Formats: sequence, structure tokens, C-alpha cells
Amino acid sequence: MSDTTLNVIPARRADAVTAPINEDWLAVVLGLAIFVLALAALVHVDLIGWVVTTSVWSNLGQALRTTSKDFSSLGGVGALVATYVALLVVLSGTAVALKSNVTRFALAFTAVFWIAYASWVIGNFAHFAASTPAEQQKFGISWSLKLTNEGGYIFALVAGLIIANFFPRFAEAIRDAIRPELYIKVAIVILGGVFAVTAAGKLGFASSLILRGVAAIVEAYLIYWAVVYFVARKWFGFSREWAAPLASGISICGVSAAIAVGGAIRARPVVPVLVSSLVVIFAVVEVLILPFIAQAFLSHEPLVAGAWMGLAVKTDGAAVAAGGITESLILAKNAAEGVNYQPGWILGTAATIKVFIDIFIGIWAFILGYIWTNHINVTPDREKAKAKEIWQRFPKFIIGFLVTFVVGLYLALGTPADIAKNVPAAIGEANTFRVIFFILTFFSIGVLSNFKTLWQEGFGKLAAVYLISLFGFVVWVGLLISWIFFGGITPPLAS
Amino acid sequence: MTQSDIREELRNAPIEPLLPIEKKLIGWSLSIGLVLLVGLALLNHFVPATF
Repeated sequence: MSDTTLNVIPARRADAVTAPINEDWLAVVLGLAIFVLALAALVHVDLIGWVVTTSVWSNLGQALRTTSKDFSSLGGVGALVATYVALLVVLSGTAVALKSNVTRFALAFTAVFWIAYASWVIGNFAHFAASTPAEQQKFGISWSLKLTNEGGYIFALVAGLIIANFFPRFAEAIRDAIRPELYIKVAIVILGGVFAVTAAGKLGFASSLILRGVAAIVEAYLIYWAVVYFVARKWFGFSREWAAPLASGISICGVSAAIAVGGAIRARPVVPVLVSSLVVIFAVVEVLILPFIAQAFLSHEPLVAGAWMGLAVKTDGAAVAAGGITESLILAKNAAEGVNYQPGWILGTAATIKVFIDIFIGIWAFILGYIWTNHINVTPDREKAKAKEIWQRFPKFIIGFLVTFVVGLYLALGTPADIAKNVPAAIGEANTFRVIFFILTFFSIGVLSNFKTLWQEGFGKLAAVYLISLFGFVVWVGLLISWIFFGGITPPLAS
Repeated sequence: MTQSDIREELRNAPIEPLLPIEKKLIGWSLSIGLVLLVGLALLNHFVPATF
């Protein structure tokens, strides 16, 4: 088996064997560190205002700037270099913690950062990103693809895809820094705080989102999984060892679920690794298609669209990022019609749905592990599933998400007005890092998606199960359930 | 395991019939899932989300 096909997992697996800390916990530490540094702004100490942010541009010289005006003397390029250096140092620290080769990581990350961010900047070009007539007028342009600034994620993804499919040796060379799961988990931890600020003003809805999160859990674990497992076993004749991780990857949460269930049922490591390769590739296809379908048909049902991304797009990174793109596209379309929704709700809905689904991965893996080791593969030498595996397989970054959400909510609602009024701006600085981690995630997912290699290796049967289950069932049932639970609910209007 | 090993395995794997425990797993999952979804949909109907 070529390394190229299986490059989703090997680095992670090697890390997991020897490193004292895993990517999950590192994501919690990193995300919380950024969150805490951002909160220093509440006491008028701006620690991360130098981080670079990008505006839609027609003159490249005006594309970049610092997040905070306090650091404007740095200039856009200075902010970009400062952001690169800071991320290089911090992420090299994670490479040390994961016992990776730091020099190789630093070189690879340098390439990853600059290519990914350059793609993002290109995606913010006015002819691609300007989304309303007013914006077109502002930039003096007569046409635009109206992809919005978050369309820059698509550019990062496509840059990664080009590298993976046309420059496989380069893709291999930068593999040490291709860590989409780490990047998206850091982003999700930060997103907890960002969503808290959004939710603070509308606690009634935020709490009713929980009911809808439960519906998502039921759908993913009990409906999707059972149907996909049946399809894989009965229609395609896959063995149990292949069908369980495959069903988990398609129905629950992509890579994490495939690996967790593969481990729980004691499948050979190659099985979840191959399934993960498929998951990533199909997630790319979904990200390139579904947000635009949502914009075309669900622009008047924004939260249905957000929930749909959380339910239909597999892997945390792709789902949450698809929520971001969908939000941007739908808000832009509505803005063009004169309706300005408050930002944050579509992305927040997608992320919350995904987080709810993630919470139960460990429990589901344990249930399957128990059934497999006690009823299906019963051999004296086979280790039985143990309850402690539930915690071992629990995605720890969810703890980070909950912490930032609760702290953000407390700061916004439970502190004196002179502090509370600064919370959105402070967390907004952390959000700039969230955007950068999204960009890195998109680029990394692209680099992992070598369509050609996968096809050459003849895994058409696996892909067929995935294709039929995903586009014939999961996507549409996800849409139906999203409609039932979110139909008719629209985000508040922006003030 | 090599590339051709996997390909051969996927192509020539003998059919494993569904065991009763698998049928139970699928049946119970779907049944519980559908019942819960209907219950949640009713709850959603009577306690609609509001801003």
C-alpha cells in the first residue's frame, strides 16, 4: 500500500504510540491559551491584537492588517510575518510534545502556512469575494463571483487538492505539518467562546438548540449507522471488520469515528486508515458542493442550512468549515435582498450539532466493542472491551469547547457592564486565530485528498458504499431532519 | 499488508451472512432511533424554539 493513500493517519498513529500527550489535549491547551490571551483585552491589555486579518481587496496593498489598531504600526505584512512566527513557534512546540521531528515540521509548516494564507488572500480578491452590489460599488467592479471572504477557504482547499493530485512528492514533503484534526480542534475550542458571545443575547434559542442536538445524535448513531451498516453488509458483501468502521465513518463523524470503532472492534489498523482516506475525500466533495446548494435553496432557512452541514458533512473540520462557508454565502445572499441576519448563528448551529454528535463517539465505540468481543468475535485470546475505553476515546477537545463557551457566556452575562461590553471585541481577537486555523484545516484536507491514487488502488467498492450511503441517504435524511427541527426559525436581525 | 493484498481481500472476501446479533443491532437501533425522533419531533412541535 502506498504511503500516499494512507497519509491521513500514519503520523497520528506514530504520535499516539510514543507521545506523552495526544493531539486532542494539545488542541485544548492551544485553544484555551489563545482564548485566555485574548481575554486580557478585558483589562485593557492587548496581547494578540497583532495577529493578521484579511479584508476583501481590489488593491493588494490594502488586503492585510492587524486585528487591533493598537498594533497598526506593524502594517499588514508585518502582522502576517508576526502571525507566522508565533504559529511556527507554538506549533513546533506541539511537534516536540508529539515527538515529531521539529526541523522537518518547521520546514513543512512554513510551506503550509504561506501557501494556505496566500490562497486565502487570493480568495479575498474583490472579483471573487465581493458579495453585495454595495461592495461591488465600493471596489469599483462590475462583476464578482460573490463567494464572500470565506470563499477563501475554498481557495485554500483547492490549493491543497492541486498539490495532492499534481505534486504528490511535494505533498509528501510537507506531510509533517498536514494536521487537519489538530488545526480544526484548536479552532473548535476557540469557537466555543465565539459562539457564547453570539448566544449570550439569545439564551432561549441557545438552550433549545440542545433539544435539536439530541435529535442529531439519534439520527447519526441510531438511524444512519444502522442503515449504512446494513447496506455495506447486505448489498455490498463487506465483512463485519470493514462494515463497522465504514458505517461509523459515513454516519457519525468521519475519521474520529472510524478510528474509534475500528479500535473498539479490534479491526486491523489498515481498515480504519483506509476508511479515513475515503472520509476525507468525500468530505472535500461535500464542502465543494453542499454550501452552494444550501445558498441556492435554503437561503431563507439559514438554520436548516447550518444544521444540515453539521449532519451531512463528515469530519469535524469539513463540517464546521462548511458551516462557515454556508453562513457567509447565505448572509451575503440575504444582505443583497436587504435582510441582514446576525452572523454566528449558522456556523454556531453547525458546530453545536457536530459537537453533540462527537460526544457519544466513545460510548458508541464501546457498545460496538462490547457486542463484537462478547458476541461476534469470541475467542479466548481476544481482549474484551472495557468501560474505561469510553473515556479513552472521548474527544477531549469538546471539553475545551465547553470551557470557552461557559466562560464566554459568564463574561458576557455575569460581569459588570463595563467589562461585558468589551467581551465581543476580546473574543473577536481569538476568532481571528480561529479563522487562520480554519484556513490551515482546509488546506490540509486538500493535501490529504489524492483522488488519483485512491482510484488506482481499486477501492471502488468502498467508495461505492460511501457514495450511495452519503448522497443517496445521509445527505437527504440530514436535510429532512434539519428541516423538521430548524424549519421556520431564522437568526435575529443584525442591529 | 500490500496494496494488492487489500485489493484481493476486498474482491475475494467470502460473504459473511448477517448474524442474529447483527440483525438485532440494526433492528433495535432503527426502532429506538425512529421512536426517539418522533418523540423529539413532537416535543419540538409543542415547545418550539424561539429567539
